[in-house]
Amino acid sequence: MFKDLDPILHSQLRLAVMSLLISVKQAEFTFLKEKTNSTAGNLSVQIQKLKEAGYIEVIKEFKDNYPNTTCKITAKGIKAFEEYVKSLQQYLQVKK
Amino acid sequence: MIENPENNFSPQQSLQLIESMINRAKDKYAEDGFMYLLWGWLVFACSIMQFVLLHVFGYTYHYIVWLATIPVFIYQAYYVKKKRRRQKAVTYADSIISYVWITFAIVIFLLCFLVGPLTSGEYYTHIVHILLAIYGMPVFLTGVVIKFKPLIYGGIACWVLCILSTFIKVYDYQFLCVPAAMLAAWIIPGYLLRAKYKSQ
Repeated sequence: MFKDLDPILHSQLRLAVMSLLISVKQAEFTFLKEKTNSTAGNLSVQIQKLKEAGYIEVIKEFKDNYPNTTCKITAKGIKAFEEYVKSLQQYLQVKK
Repeated sequence: MIENPENNFSPQQSLQLIESMINRAKDKYAEDGFMYLLWGWLVFACSIMQFVLLHVFGYTYHYIVWLATIPVFIYQAYYVKKKRRRQKAVTYADSIISYVWITFAIVIFLLCFLVGPLTSGEYYTHIVHILLAIYGMPVFLTGVVIKFKPLIYGGIACWVLCILSTFIKVYDYQFLCVPAAMLAAWIIPGYLLRAKYKSQ
């Protein structure tokens, strides 16, 4: 049953990041770090994986002379997230 | 909270995680009502002063009081820029609201030029009704988007005052509808927004 679940999304931190990004238009790295209570290192790795999958867009720029990373969910990411939630619902219905 | 990076969590846990993250992303009330109060009191004061200059002193250039809005516009640009810098995430609601207000500012700006030629110099007899009709729009829409009823009622109050103002035949007194609209749509909701912001 689990094999249908997208492996990119079926990971706690990546799923948490995607759930945050689906709720807002865009978010800074520090916002994601704060809301997920994760370490910067782990979060960076997971964000990179989501980016490689094409689920999120990562914009690096300078804000007040400091590097600042902003993340945005992509259309592909929204589709993948919806599919993932659909699979979860199907699984839970079968279980009932 | 996320201790387990492994993929061995159940679909129930997945759904719980999604739900809790979506709830966390819902921003606290980002609006502290400052801009509503600033503009509300400014327009309130300007329109009262204009009424006094026009009605009591019969001063021809009574509209000069509106020049006071220029420095406030400049200050607002600075304030918004500063606020943006502090903001770590932009919600869809934030984005929609800022475009609603930008549209409002553009419409008001265009009207300043258009209303004269459109009404062949008789603009002063229509200006209050037109302004009140337009004032209601951003307030009402913001109220709907952030689900804040005082702003929704404030927007409706502007439209009610717009209709009422058409029954006021003496042009001078029509101006008094503007401070009334400011109280209902910007000042009172502004204080309520501030109270809500502080209480969270």
